[in-house]
Amino acid sequence: MDSPEQKITKTVSRVDASKESMANSRQVIGINFCGPTPLMWRADDLKSVRELGIIGTLVGSLARQPRQNTRLGRPLELLPEEGRLLADMGRAAVIPDSTNEDPEVNPEQVEQYHAGLENSFQEQGALALEDRKATLMRVMTKKHNGKETSSLTYRHLCETSELSVLALTALCFLLENSGSQEDSDGAVRDRLEALAHGFSFPRPAMAVQLCTARAGLSHCPEVRRFLAADWPIPRDERSETRFRVFRDLRRQGFYLTSAGKFGGDYLVYPGDPLRFHAYFIVVCISMDESMPLCDVLAIARLGSNVKKTVLLCSSGGSQEDDGEEVVYTSLQWSGMV
Amino acid sequence: MADQNKTSAKVEFGNELLNPSELFEARTRSHKIPVRGQKDFIPTGSDQQKDRLQQSLDEHWNLVSEERVERLGNLVKAVWIPSDMIVELQSPAGKFWQTMGFSAHGKQCLHPEEALYLMECGNLQLFYQDLPLSIQEGYERFLYSKTMSVQHYQVFGHLKRLGYVVNRFDPSSVPSQYERQLNLPQSQDRSGRLPKRKRSHSPTSRHTGTQEGPTSKRMEEEKDCNREEEDKNPDSLPDLSAPDIDEIQTASHVDPTTSTKGGQGRSWWSKEGSPGPDSELPGHPQSSPRWDFSSIPFPDLGSRSWLPSSLTSPDPCLLPGAVGSVGACDVAPWLQRLNLREVRMSRRECERERDRDRYRRDINQDREVRRCRNWAEYQELQGRRIQRSRRDRPTHLWERPVTPLHDPAQVTSTGELLDKISVIKSTRLLEGASSLKGSEEWRICFNIYQPDTVAEFKKSAPGKPYSRMCVCSFDGPVPDLWTLKLLAFQSGDVPVTYAVVDHGDISFYSFKDFQIPTDTSF
Repeated sequence: MDSPEQKITKTVSRVDASKESMANSRQVIGINFCGPTPLMWRADDLKSVRELGIIGTLVGSLARQPRQNTRLGRPLELLPEEGRLLADMGRAAVIPDSTNEDPEVNPEQVEQYHAGLENSFQEQGALALEDRKATLMRVMTKKHNGKETSSLTYRHLCETSELSVLALTALCFLLENSGSQEDSDGAVRDRLEALAHGFSFPRPAMAVQLCTARAGLSHCPEVRRFLAADWPIPRDERSETRFRVFRDLRRQGFYLTSAGKFGGDYLVYPGDPLRFHAYFIVVCISMDESMPLCDVLAIARLGSNVKKTVLLCSSGGSQEDDGEEVVYTSLQWSGMV
Repeated sequence: MADQNKTSAKVEFGNELLNPSELFEARTRSHKIPVRGQKDFIPTGSDQQKDRLQQSLDEHWNLVSEERVERLGNLVKAVWIPSDMIVELQSPAGKFWQTMGFSAHGKQCLHPEEALYLMECGNLQLFYQDLPLSIQEGYERFLYSKTMSVQHYQVFGHLKRLGYVVNRFDPSSVPSQYERQLNLPQSQDRSGRLPKRKRSHSPTSRHTGTQEGPTSKRMEEEKDCNREEEDKNPDSLPDLSAPDIDEIQTASHVDPTTSTKGGQGRSWWSKEGSPGPDSELPGHPQSSPRWDFSSIPFPDLGSRSWLPSSLTSPDPCLLPGAVGSVGACDVAPWLQRLNLREVRMSRRECERERDRDRYRRDINQDREVRRCRNWAEYQELQGRRIQRSRRDRPTHLWERPVTPLHDPAQVTSTGELLDKISVIKSTRLLEGASSLKGSEEWRICFNIYQPDTVAEFKKSAPGKPYSRMCVCSFDGPVPDLWTLKLLAFQSGDVPVTYAVVDHGDISFYSFKDFQIPTDTSF
């Protein structure tokens, strides 16, 4: 689905994200807000965003196994800093919420939907028939070659077709007791014809897709740029500090995720979190804020317990976007020796 | 929503719709999730690491981009009704009906978060305006309000995936402490259950509410049959932190003055007096009627402390129609009739009385008192007697305004002594909690029931929940003592758990009441 120019192989080492944005400027990623939370729904968007170094967190059920918590699926929830960075880079746009439009039934769309469903049903029916014919052929050639039709084949036939076990057994029995070798070809044709006549693909057997992401115009890049809204998060001092620290670390090529459970703001990985352990726990504080000693002790103790270095980060108070420095202080437990 | 007839440009780009052959193939998809391997510490840039990373990423995208494909026969159809914020089922519910959903207007319905969870599990197909909704649309339509936000849904989904039974919390269904004390049968009036007695019509009468007049007998045993709409605010119940029946009666003694003011004493049964805040909302389970015992005046004519002169006239609507208004009742002739019967004591009781009397000294028999000729001498005698008994007590200690805490001659236990000298009084979490007003910010959202009770779980009688959940986030304020007390009180005797959501990560915290043991062995 991706156009060839977009498939750029990347290495794991630290790459400057801003350079990539020039190359892939065509594809604009869509972010949907659900209340105050930024979410991303399309799988290709998730992929492109990860290539930019933004990890996010998957918060939905996994389609393959929805009733477990170890691996989750779409949507991807973004940190506010991640979303803001993407928007600032021009790589993502906020898709405005369109749920309150279309108060009435759209008969055209409904008709299209039903037509599509009917079409799918017909095609699936044809495919099912083909599939069953193929299985039957396999059974019959095996029999022809003298091999016994095992119970395994019966089971396979039952699983892949819609006939009941009884009907299938009857069919196979008939096949086995068919005539001698000479009229076997004729028998095959007859059986297949009988199958085609007696075959029915019931409607409830049809496979239907439950879409994860919303289909519609908003996945087109041109439309997205057109619809793009401003990043809506209110900017107070704390979120500004957090954003600057995030941006600076990301520029240096680190991967960042949220670290609420570790008592900090971010967890810093040297490479993709899928393969590497985190190095640092980042705690963002403003430059002129004084931190009580017991807080410093608590966070240092925590860091040593989980074998990560604690970074206290502050950004210089200047107002310009570029050029201000982020100051890092690391805490490491050391002995008196 | 199959856009196959639209122009190809829009369809092909990033289209996640599957064509029929892909749908057909999906039937034989594997359902296993690959196990994640060990992580590395240092990125070396080696090829081996790159390969492993690529492999992990490919696996990851494979899983994440997979779409849900279900057999049409396995899907339950439902319709979203925005005006009621409810999902109505159009085909019969499956196994999930045992623990989720409710009945309304004779149809099976689901709350939006339950419907969204079932959609994610691939059990439900939701339609709006005749078109199927995607999961994204479900999120955007259902999860925008403060009562059910993305964070709330994350906690809901997390617990449901672990197997717990989760449903919405209704403050009025928590029994008050008095009801718990009396061990009243819990009337779980979730709508949809047909009543066993009295009423035989369908649940559609829930909204109209029957106008069973106050003349009906309101015995407490029949509370679970009455499915009135009235909803008592827990805040209007009296502070029953000292559960003592006598206390309640004395409270009602003080009240007779209030009942003289018009219909004020009537609030405990009248519907108009206290309309429930959520009795209009559909889908809310009905609550049992609450009795405000502090405002029910039960006159106690036998009491020695309070002698009423007359009883106020009862409200005309309490009386049968034809009687009309009755005047105030004069109590005096009734009082004269009290205690007229002689108490006949058995022989054993007589003996007991005599033994008690043996040690009772009649003050008129006391020789020293008889010697006193006037009141002043008697007072002198009293003074001398007190002096004698207080010989051990030095005046500089005992006659000043500030006296010692404890008299050594008095008998007491170590525990009481420790109590006397303690400066900080220990307190329990629920002390003073009943007087706290509700909060907008902090509310209990869900009831949680344990997974191993799923087999016997009945929606109409779920029993006591394992815990109640309050959802907050690390960005917000830490719950202070006021919040803890408020929510613990609202929850009754069920512990409250705080689910803290941080960008997809959920941590659970609970606060336990704890008493430091006092050592009275020395």
